[in-house]
Amino acid sequence: MDFFLSRYRNLTVLLIVIVAQLLLIAYQVKSNKDVPLIRVWAVTAVTPVEQGLELVRRYTWGFVEDYFVLLGVRSQNEKLQHENGQLKIENHYLKSELSTADRAQALSVFQAHSPSKTVAARVIGNGTGANSKVVFVDRGSTSGIESGMAVVTPDGIVGKVVDAYPMASLVMLVTDPTFAAGVISQKNRVRGTLKGLGQTKCLVDYAQNEEKVDEGEWFYTSGDDRIFPRGFPVGQVTSVHNGKTFKEIYLTPSGMQGGVEEVLIMLQGEHLQIPDSESATPGYKILPAPTESAGEVPQPTGQSSVLTTDADRLREQYKQSGEAQHRGFGEGFVAPDFTKIQGIRASTPAATNPPPPSGTQPSRDRQEAQPKPGSAAAADAPAKASVPSTASAPAPPKPKPRPTAPILVTDPTDADPDAVPPPAPKTEKPAKPPGSGVPPSRPPSGNQ
Amino acid sequence: MSEYTERLLTSPSRKNQSDRLRLVWLIIIPLIAILFQVYVPRFVSFLSYLELPLLITVHFALGRRGPIASVFYGMSIGLVQDSLSHQPIGMFGIVKTLVGYFAASVSQRFDVENPIVTFILSFFFYFFHQFFYWVLARALLGEAMIFDPQQTLLFGLLNAAVALPLFHILDKLKVAA
Amino acid sequence: MTHPDREEERQLSANRLLRDDTKFASGKIAFFQYVMVAIFLFLVTGFWDLQIRYPEVYQERAERNSIKSIPVLAPRGKILDRDGRVIVDNHSSFSLFLSREDLKMEHLKPIAEGLSLDYDALVARVHRFQTRGAPQYEPIMIKDELTPAELAFVESHKDPDTFPELEVIHVQRRLYPRDGLAAHAIGYVGEVSEVELNTPEFARFHQGDVIGKDGIERQYNDTLMGVDGQRRVEVDSFGNQRRLPEDEDKDKEAVPGKNLQLTIDLDLQAVAELAMENRRGAVVAIDPRNGEVLAMVSRPAFDPNLFASRIRSKDWKELIDNKDHPLLNRAIQAQQAPGSTFKPMMALAGLETGVINDNFIIHCPGGATFYNHYYACHLKGGHGTVELHKGIVQSCDVFFYNVGNRLGIDRIAEYADKVGLGHKTGIDLPHEAEGIVPSTKWKIRNFREKWYAGETISVAIGQGATTVTPIQLANYVGGLAIGGMWFQPHMTKETPIPPARRVEFNPDNIRKVIDGMYGVVNEGGTGGRARIPGIEVCGKTGTAQLASREVLKSAKAAGENMKANAWFVGFAPRDNPEIVVAALWENGEEGPWVAPIVRDVLKAYFDKKVRLGEPRPQIAGIPRLLTPTAASEPANP
Repeated sequence: MDFFLSRYRNLTVLLIVIVAQLLLIAYQVKSNKDVPLIRVWAVTAVTPVEQGLELVRRYTWGFVEDYFVLLGVRSQNEKLQHENGQLKIENHYLKSELSTADRAQALSVFQAHSPSKTVAARVIGNGTGANSKVVFVDRGSTSGIESGMAVVTPDGIVGKVVDAYPMASLVMLVTDPTFAAGVISQKNRVRGTLKGLGQTKCLVDYAQNEEKVDEGEWFYTSGDDRIFPRGFPVGQVTSVHNGKTFKEIYLTPSGMQGGVEEVLIMLQGEHLQIPDSESATPGYKILPAPTESAGEVPQPTGQSSVLTTDADRLREQYKQSGEAQHRGFGEGFVAPDFTKIQGIRASTPAATNPPPPSGTQPSRDRQEAQPKPGSAAAADAPAKASVPSTASAPAPPKPKPRPTAPILVTDPTDADPDAVPPPAPKTEKPAKPPGSGVPPSRPPSGNQ
Repeated sequence: MSEYTERLLTSPSRKNQSDRLRLVWLIIIPLIAILFQVYVPRFVSFLSYLELPLLITVHFALGRRGPIASVFYGMSIGLVQDSLSHQPIGMFGIVKTLVGYFAASVSQRFDVENPIVTFILSFFFYFFHQFFYWVLARALLGEAMIFDPQQTLLFGLLNAAVALPLFHILDKLKVAA
Repeated sequence: MTHPDREEERQLSANRLLRDDTKFASGKIAFFQYVMVAIFLFLVTGFWDLQIRYPEVYQERAERNSIKSIPVLAPRGKILDRDGRVIVDNHSSFSLFLSREDLKMEHLKPIAEGLSLDYDALVARVHRFQTRGAPQYEPIMIKDELTPAELAFVESHKDPDTFPELEVIHVQRRLYPRDGLAAHAIGYVGEVSEVELNTPEFARFHQGDVIGKDGIERQYNDTLMGVDGQRRVEVDSFGNQRRLPEDEDKDKEAVPGKNLQLTIDLDLQAVAELAMENRRGAVVAIDPRNGEVLAMVSRPAFDPNLFASRIRSKDWKELIDNKDHPLLNRAIQAQQAPGSTFKPMMALAGLETGVINDNFIIHCPGGATFYNHYYACHLKGGHGTVELHKGIVQSCDVFFYNVGNRLGIDRIAEYADKVGLGHKTGIDLPHEAEGIVPSTKWKIRNFREKWYAGETISVAIGQGATTVTPIQLANYVGGLAIGGMWFQPHMTKETPIPPARRVEFNPDNIRKVIDGMYGVVNEGGTGGRARIPGIEVCGKTGTAQLASREVLKSAKAAGENMKANAWFVGFAPRDNPEIVVAALWENGEEGPWVAPIVRDVLKAYFDKKVRLGEPRPQIAGIPRLLTPTAASEPANP
């Protein structure tokens, strides 16, 4: 054996090294656990350099623009940009609240809302590796980042934090194949789940074929996933067609356009947290359910609640007709009059036999049993009633949803977000650490 | 313990200074390569296909170093790459370990000073690296990666083309040290 | 001694040989090295496959090939009404499971939080699974019917970095109408059971298949059930599924089940359901001209949606223990004494056999004595002089006692059999009941006793041992109404049915019986509540005592509900009838009270024709027994 080992020393070392690494992978795969230490070391080692690089890059490019003259303007500009981003986000909330009838209440809801703090972070590197879409940002657990936090830009969502190292975090982008988030369409409030595909486009899954989604329509976060707060832009639909079981909706994430450089990580005001969450799992963040806190417009789709078939709807018509005639069924001496019943026409032609897969879904929110004569077109009245259609200001081709593209799903009177004077942010601003160029905690080789 | 470090320890003290410098270079150069890979493709996405860490490994191994040193060198570079990825640690590690080993054993048979040989070897090892990574991802992780031979050949050429001047510079650095 | 030269030479050659040997060996060793590496890698992969990717413990994932075939469940066909409106639909349903191999207890808290589940209950559930010693691969079901919001939460958290133990299973689930509308006719689906798999009927199914268990779902399971397909996905070692575009060609499409169009008319069904609300009984509407069942209601009903997922044992127990037997399809399974609805058949039998004719008149003083036993009429004061027409219109018991007495039990049985009583109608639904028409043979067969003539008297008014089901009643009256032709009742349009069974009766005799039934509704008879102005409704009430008066008294004292069952069977129009409706109201007490149920169903039928612009059936032009109401309201355009 000794002979063998000395004779094939190279080979032996190679085999040992490989076996060691195989065992390492085996451990990770089997236990579904990471080897945090190695990563933390590597990331911590690399981060400062990357930050330095980033710093150098920005200032060298600034140099071209006459660094010395524009220094002041530049930093101010940066500051303003941060602030602007912050304001856009505040605007989302504000506008959603202003759209509710009671402004006073809206303001208080807003106050309850606004503390959702953000931390500005800068992308400092791509993750290596083939399939996954991840980036490193220059803020880590020392800045209060935890995994599970949402990463956004004012233009749209970017991803979520999957690993927080002391000085940096790993952010899974929306385009990563394992990424998913709850989304809702702007016009018809179609709910779905956004899924990354590993490409530039993303898929919105689980939207019923019957539901109406147009090309060019905006999707927003629904808050259902408990990662992203409700109402952030996600992207514009690029193509949509009916699939086997669900609609196939593809969209380009608006937060990813033109590359991601600066992002906001959504920390959370403590009073927004679910009371006992921090004791249970430190290190994973779950937002409260959106409906509880968000003072939302009631959901007209009511997707989950009641599924009905034609049979239910027809019976409802007869029942209401009976009530209108003040008589029960199968009673009394006088026959009721059913000639005014509106009736329900077959939703699927009886002849076409194998139903289009679309037909596997009950057509649920059509025609909610309204025996009013004359409203024959009721069948087409979609369930969006409470959204006065926004007039859908001819959606601008620009990816930025700023000027006319409605920013918030909940806003029915979206005229011009910039025209809405944000009264609250002024008082609110001191509470927001990031955004300005002087964040409280800076990594050692920070960019100032 | 690798041959390399052995040699380092046993080298005469006169050469200590220059050896220390060489050691520093040995650490810094792969770090730069990895940083390049992490940082630059953000702006020039095409450059994400440039496997600088691999080229550094190949260069090290071809420099007539013992296979064991190359094995450890390749492994270290691979592991750092892994730590910066979102996948189990060890994938790049294994691949680069193998690359280091084979490159080192090849260097004993070929004239590695010849640019044509360098070009062919870089090209070969790039292909080997990509292919073996793909095999590992499929076999160990069961990941549904797609291996495109044509594309890999093309990028192999790119990497080999970059390898020539790169190796030249690295050789210069070595001499300077 | 050897020559030194030779010695030297040999040494030299040996040396050369030796040198050659080393050279040869070093090349071999290099080659050997590479082979070793290759073999080693090969072995490592094999080892890996066995130990890491395919450990037997993870039985569920044992076939976790990088390529996995996921069954794509074919959706069952929809069930439509005669106009193509959807009665039974499918909907996408998502269930959440916890995979126990990946389970980390500290994840339960945020998971419970995200899905608004009770954390303690969840932990208890997981513990129960663990202590029960369930196999490791068996996932724990946490939540059924995920809402889109919950689905979004799960989807966005089930990545390997967050909560890899979350697993979502998507199924197409049956969506039945609410409140048990048509529940009995349609039946329900469920997973094929162990016991069923061992019977020949179900042998071709596999464990876990969802099949029709009752009603239409069972009868037409082969039509409704599709063929499951397969979807190929790549599964990595973390259990993530990914889809490669090239796999799409290898997918096997699921073939959806065919839609099934019933003869049921939802308009009539809805009205019948509403009319039967809070009552116990059944309603059956048939088109006598072809046997198509237009409505079938049985109450109390159950909610088939409970079966659509897996019925909870609590719900099942509730259904089974309910003394009203909600699972019973009363329309084809309730066997009750027909009461006076038996009388039209009696009248016909009397006329056909000649035991009565137009001149047959009796006097009803409120009862009569036969074979030393007094049989009361339902009208205590008596009907006075009664001939056939009045006998039917007023439902005079004494009249029919006499008819029955003259006919004798076997002739009653013969005619009852001719009109379709006492045997299954053959409707395409499982578990139809036969009903009983007693005869001397029947008594000997079942009781080994001879028939006493006195028993015939009760049978003559549809009491005694006689029982019918609502579908039999509707079928018998409907066939009579169209002149003695019986079509097999059926639920779907496509099913081939045997040709109509024609029985040669004298049309005049049938006419007389039908005129009597017209009088029941329109000439101050017992079924006046069923009158619909402008439509010639004919019908017959029935009030069936549950037992003799003495028994009733004691039972009442015991607190049991012994109220009589109320029947009504009606059809319209009088000439060329299009629809016949039978209604049974258990413990409804009086036949006349159930007439409005039938009336409303008939009204729904004819009002629908008005809505659709079809002309109302013209009232027969011949001025027979023309009633003022019928004349005053002309047919609608």
